[in-house]
Amino acid sequence: MSSFFLDLRIALLSLFEHKRRTFLLGAAVATVTALLVLLNGLSAGIRQTLIETATTISTGHLNVGGFFKVTAGRGSPIVTDYQKVVEVVKREVPELDFSVPRGRGWGKIVSDSGSTQAGIGGIEIEHERDFKRIVQLSSGNFEDLAQPNTILLFESQIKKLQVKIGDAVTISAQTPRGVANTVDCRVVAIAKDIGLLSQWNVFVSSDSLRSLYQLRPDVTGAIHLHLHPKALKDLPRLAARLRTSLEHAGYRLMEPDPKPFFMKFQSVAREDWTGQKLDVTTWEDELSFMMWTLKALDGLTFILMLILMGIVVTGIMNTMWIAIRERTKEIGTLRAMGMQRGSVVRMFFLESLLLGIFGGVTGVTLGVSLAALLNAAHIHVPLTVQIFLMSDTLHLAVLPTAMLSALLLVAVVTGAASLFPSLRAARLKPVDAMSHFG
Amino acid sequence: MAIIVSIRNATKDYRLGKVLVPALRGVSLEVNSGEFLSIAGPSGSGKTTLLNLIGCVDTPTSGTVEVAGRNTAELGERALTRLRLYTIGFIFQSFNLVGVLDVFRNVELPLLLQRTLSSKERAERVHSLLDRVGLKEYSDHRPSELSGGQRQRVAIARALVTRPQLVLADEPTANLDSVTGQNILDLMRELNHADGTTFIFSTHDARVMSYANAVIRLADGKLSDTSDGGRATDAEVAELGHVSAGASQP
Repeated sequence: MSSFFLDLRIALLSLFEHKRRTFLLGAAVATVTALLVLLNGLSAGIRQTLIETATTISTGHLNVGGFFKVTAGRGSPIVTDYQKVVEVVKREVPELDFSVPRGRGWGKIVSDSGSTQAGIGGIEIEHERDFKRIVQLSSGNFEDLAQPNTILLFESQIKKLQVKIGDAVTISAQTPRGVANTVDCRVVAIAKDIGLLSQWNVFVSSDSLRSLYQLRPDVTGAIHLHLHPKALKDLPRLAARLRTSLEHAGYRLMEPDPKPFFMKFQSVAREDWTGQKLDVTTWEDELSFMMWTLKALDGLTFILMLILMGIVVTGIMNTMWIAIRERTKEIGTLRAMGMQRGSVVRMFFLESLLLGIFGGVTGVTLGVSLAALLNAAHIHVPLTVQIFLMSDTLHLAVLPTAMLSALLLVAVVTGAASLFPSLRAARLKPVDAMSHFG
Repeated sequence: MAIIVSIRNATKDYRLGKVLVPALRGVSLEVNSGEFLSIAGPSGSGKTTLLNLIGCVDTPTSGTVEVAGRNTAELGERALTRLRLYTIGFIFQSFNLVGVLDVFRNVELPLLLQRTLSSKERAERVHSLLDRVGLKEYSDHRPSELSGGQRQRVAIARALVTRPQLVLADEPTANLDSVTGQNILDLMRELNHADGTTFIFSTHDARVMSYANAVIRLADGKLSDTSDGGRATDAEVAELGHVSAGASQP
């Protein structure tokens, strides 16, 4: 047994010797770790839900959109001859999983009993891979959306328009040439609300949207690119690469601007060019108007983590003060016998670290179990929370990295909390330490 | 005979609030290797302070302390710790064993700090010493499961396990009954005879100091005014109750 293992043994035995203290402190560490895991799980769950929902409803991970200007002062959010753009993308982006064309529009939905303004998504339902999983229907069916002049509305819009499956609504909008046009659509699907995005989005078949805006079949609003998970870590770099590839393929590109397309109308109208320009955006650009929710969540998580860590540090440091005070005579004896100061610090650091690891592992297990229970319980959240959560139920995503980081953080913080008191104890003269009482 | 401890005009002052309390007032002393020396004196006479200076766990306010030929004032903290580890063994009045370790590990502890012997060599040496102090059967007992005498035997084994040149014992029998105390002193003297290890122990018990080959007397932080550097004569020792046979004088 080396002196390290001796220190380890003393540390372990000390933990067992002071069962009550170890239990109470271990329980505190475990509770904090469990809370950290749950907090992280909640944050990751919301982020995951939001990304998944948003990247299904209104944006891809990356988007190739753009504007077409008939005159310098008037631009429409369309991509002409989009199949050729798709070919370039498929060739230049190996990280691509799949892509879907989406029509983009904004108009007024009018029923016999009411009206509402909404963003109009033109979809080809047969090509949508995740749409049917994310959007939950309360009535109707998705397949009917493949038929011309059909529409999917969300429940809150149904209430406002007072319509049901089979009823007709009229969509009214201005074409790229500035002419008012309307299209009658039959309600074929009603979906459950999924937060903020379902407040202003309706979906019609792509052909219906083209018909509304009087567009050719080779025109779409944007191409939503869905990438393999590993590629999601560095989207801005990937976006820059795609821009270069499109430029090399002969397309004109708009200046990068991290905003959703509907916030670019004015700036595009001020620019002196006509024809087609493409725009490459990330999902974060398209959702920048609501990214504050994620930032607020991250900030809140960080503050709560700081508070929790503060509690752990204070608790451990306080307890280590008491433990070291109780064992000052022992420290003096060990120092008199020839133990170096560093070993004394290591002994207490190990004791604290072990406590952190034991408590941490227990806490992670507890946190993961609680998260699984909460997920299994399908807890419904209030409507106001649903708006930001993008889901009607609470979903916690406990990632392995989050578990490991919580464990590491707690263990390191717990170990570090012992350093100050043990350094002070180690600096005592052996004679002073040995004559210490209490 | 080689000199193991040499103290010249050492003083030690303690500060109690604004008051400076002198614990030692100019002590000079030389101790030869192999001595079985007692530091005698009443409570507060400076016995423990003197042992602390010799044991390098404290430093003098003035004067010099040399242990095994090394001036402690010239050594840094690490070097002092190493000097204690390799040269000195300690026996404390209240045993000071590590409560969470069993007897074997308590005795093995200084060897682990030295890191010079293999696991097998350490085990052999520890078992041999436990055998010599009569605790072979208790190697897996915790200190709390032993009597006071047995604990002090463990402390003696721990002090001797590194084969130090010098063993310091601060009132080693103060917390023991007279029969157990006598046994401990017999054991210490036997080890002193057998290995030639220098023992310096403090006591204010006349019967205990009569075991020593030589006795130095402290009073009010000074060596008693005797003709031989503070060492009591045989007659003085005899006055204390017992004449030590074969007392050596430097």
